[in-house]
Amino acid sequence: MMSRDKESGLDFSTVIASTVHDMKNSLAMLMQAHSQWLARLPDGQHQAPEQVVIEHEFVHLNGMLVQLLGLYKLGINQLPMLPDYHDLDDFIGGLLAGYQEILDSRGIVARYEIDEATPLGFFDRELVGSVISNIINNATRYAGHALLVSVREEGEALVISVNDDGTGFPAAMIAQQDQYVQGIEHSTASTGLGLYFAARIAALHERNGVPGRIEIANGGALGGGLFRLYLP
Amino acid sequence: MLVYSQKSFLIVDDFTDFRTSLRSMLREMGIKDVDTAESGETAIRMCGQKRYDFVLHDFHMGDGRKNGQQVLEDLMLDKLISHEAIFVMITAESSQAVVLSALEHEPDAYLTKPFNRVGLTQRLDKLVQRKTLLKPILQALDRGRPAEVLVACEQLCKKDPRFAPLCLRYRADAMAALNRHEELERFLKAILANRPTPWAYSALGKLLFKRGQASQAKDVYEQAIKAFSMMPGLYDGLAEVLAASGENRRAQHVLEDAVRLSPLAVKRQMLLGKLALGNADFDSASRAYRQAVSQGQNSRFKDPESNLGLAQALIQKNAGNGLDARTRVEINQVLGDVAKEYGEDQGLQVRARLIKATGVAQAGDAETAAKLTEAAMARLETMDQFFSAEAALAVAAQLKQLGQEDAGKNILKNCVEVYGDDNAVMQSIAKLTDDPAILGAGNEAVDLNRQGVRSYQAGQLDEALNLFRKALRLQSKNISIALNTAQALLRMGGENPSAAVLQECRECLAKVAGIPDTDPRYERYRKLRIRAVGS
Repeated sequence: MMSRDKESGLDFSTVIASTVHDMKNSLAMLMQAHSQWLARLPDGQHQAPEQVVIEHEFVHLNGMLVQLLGLYKLGINQLPMLPDYHDLDDFIGGLLAGYQEILDSRGIVARYEIDEATPLGFFDRELVGSVISNIINNATRYAGHALLVSVREEGEALVISVNDDGTGFPAAMIAQQDQYVQGIEHSTASTGLGLYFAARIAALHERNGVPGRIEIANGGALGGGLFRLYLP
Repeated sequence: MLVYSQKSFLIVDDFTDFRTSLRSMLREMGIKDVDTAESGETAIRMCGQKRYDFVLHDFHMGDGRKNGQQVLEDLMLDKLISHEAIFVMITAESSQAVVLSALEHEPDAYLTKPFNRVGLTQRLDKLVQRKTLLKPILQALDRGRPAEVLVACEQLCKKDPRFAPLCLRYRADAMAALNRHEELERFLKAILANRPTPWAYSALGKLLFKRGQASQAKDVYEQAIKAFSMMPGLYDGLAEVLAASGENRRAQHVLEDAVRLSPLAVKRQMLLGKLALGNADFDSASRAYRQAVSQGQNSRFKDPESNLGLAQALIQKNAGNGLDARTRVEINQVLGDVAKEYGEDQGLQVRARLIKATGVAQAGDAETAAKLTEAAMARLETMDQFFSAEAALAVAAQLKQLGQEDAGKNILKNCVEVYGDDNAVMQSIAKLTDDPAILGAGNEAVDLNRQGVRSYQAGQLDEALNLFRKALRLQSKNISIALNTAQALLRMGGENPSAAVLQECRECLAKVAGIPDTDPRYERYRKLRIRAVGS
C-alpha cells in the first residue's frame, strides 16, 4: 500500500487517504443538503426517476470511499478491530433499512432470515457491516425482483449469505475468485476490490487459528448471485 | 415500529442543519418531546434538569469543546442518565470513534452518518427491545446493587440462554464490585479462551494487578495488545503495571503509543507527562503536559498538577540555558492559572511560587527569585495541610536548589514524620539527603507501630493501643500511626465509646487533619473522623 514518490518525498497512499477522507465528508454534506432540499419540494416531485439514481449513487460512492479508507488502514495495520456479540436481527435489518428506498424504487423485494437458535453473532459490527452493505449494494444493481439475506450456523461458523435472482456472477469471476481474494485480479474495478476487501475483513475474524473467509457462487434459493461470508 | 410518542429525546450536535434534519426525522416518527443542544456542556446541564429516554449525540463537537465520549463519561459518572436510557453516538467515521472510546463507558450504539429515517427507526426499535430484555439488570445497576445484577443476569440466562452473551460484561463488572476475585478470574479466563474481547482482557489485567500479580497482569496486557493493537485503553493498563514495577522507560513508550492512537485523553497525557518528567525526557514531558493542560479546560479530569508539571518540564528542559521569552510567557500563564483557580489550596500556591522562582532564577533574575522564595517560605510556615510525599520531595529539592538548604531539610524531616512508615517514600528521601538525623528520625516510632499492628491482628488490643500511643508520642503527624491509634481506641470503646475515648480519638485525628485528599488512606481517615465526631 505504501508508495513513495522518491523525488518529492510524498507518501501517496497517505495523501490519497486523507483526500478520500475529505471526499467522504464532502459527500455527507452533499447528501444532507440534497435531502433537505428534497424535503422542501412540493409533493409529487419526490419520485422523479433521477432521484433514485442520485440516491443510489450517493450510497454507492459512500460505500466505495469507506472501503478505500478501510483498505488504507488495513495496509498500515491500523484498522481497529472490536468484536462483540451483536443482535443479528438488528444488524441485518439495519443494513437493509439503509437500502429500503433504493430497493423500493427498483421494485426489489428484500427479506432476511435469521436462524432462531442463534440470535447473536460475534464479529466487528462496523467492518462486517461495510462488507455486507457493499454486497447488498451490488446486488441491487444485478437483482431482478428479489434479494435474500440469510444468517445461519454451519459447523462452528456463522454464515451470512446475500442471494439475488439476477443473472449471477460471470463464470470467469467465480472460477478465479481466489485471484480476486488475493488482490491479484481486479480488472472489474469496484466489484473486484469489494471482494478483496471482504476477504481481508473476513480473515481478520479468526478463532483458534481458523480465519474467516468468503465465497461467491451462482444459485441459492433465488438462483442468481450468491455471496457467502464465513465467520468462525 | 414501536411507539415513541411518550419518550423524551435530546439531540446534541454543533451543526444547526443537522439538528434540524434529525429533529424532523423524529417528528415524522411521531415524537413530540425533542430538545436540542449545540454543545455537550449544555447537554450535561439539560440532563441534570430532565431525565431523557434517548440522547443522540454527535461525536465531534468542535475544538475546545467536550466530545461525545467525554459527555457520555460525565453523564454516567455523575449519574445524570439512567442505565435504561439509550445513548447513541453519531459519527462521520465509525472506526475513529471506536479508537477514541474508553473501554469503561461505551455508548449503546454507534450510528454512522449519513442515515435515513428508516435506518434510524430500525436502530432505535432494536435498542429499545434490547433494553427491555435487560431491564431488570439495568434497574439493579441504577440502584447500585451488584448482587442484584448477578441475580437478574442469572434469571435472564435461564429464561433465554440464547441471550446469555449479552450478560457477560454485566456479570464481570458485578463480580468485580463484590470483590469476588477468584470467581471473576475464572470467569474472565473462560471468556478469553472462547471469544477474546478488549474489555475482558482489560478486566483481567486490572484484577491481576490489583491482587499484586504484576507480572501476570503484564502478560495479559501484552497478549491483549497483540490481538487488539488499536485499543488505547489496553496500553493504559500495561503502562500502569510497568510504572508500578519500576519499568518507567517502557511505561513511557507504551503511553506514547497510546497517545499516538488517541491523543484526546487528559488523564493519559498527564500520566505520560509525569513518567517522561521522571525519566528526564523533558521534550516528551512538556508536550504531554501541554496537551493535558489544554484538553483539561473542558474536562472533568482537569488537574493543576499538569500545570505545575508543564512549568517544571519547561524549566528543566532549558536547564543551564536560561529561558527564552516564549517559554517564560508559557510558564507564567500556566502557573498564573493555578494561582487564580486554586487560591485556597496552600500547598499548590507554595509549589507554584517555588517553581516560578526556579524559572526566574534560571532566567538570571536572582532578586525576584529570592523574593518569590521568601514569599513561598512564609506561606509554608502557616500551612496546616500536608504535602503528598511526592510534592514534599519536589519542594525540598527546589528549596535546596534555591539556596534554602535548611528549609528543604525541614520539609524532608516533616515528610519522614508523616510518611516514615512507607518504604518507597523513605527510599526517595534517601536520594535527597544522607543526614542520619533525618533518615533515622522515624525509626523507633515506625518500629513501635509495626509491633502494634501485630498485636492488633493477634487480638491483643490493650497492648496494641499502648504501642500505638507510644509511637504517636514520638511522631504525632504520622498518618498511619494516628489512624491506627484512632481505630484501636474506637474498637476498644465498643458500641458506645466513652467521652474520654472520643476526645483522645479526635485529638490524634486532628494532628493528621492535613492529610491530602489524594492519599489512599483519606477515605479511612474520613470514616474514623465521622465516628469520632458523630457518635
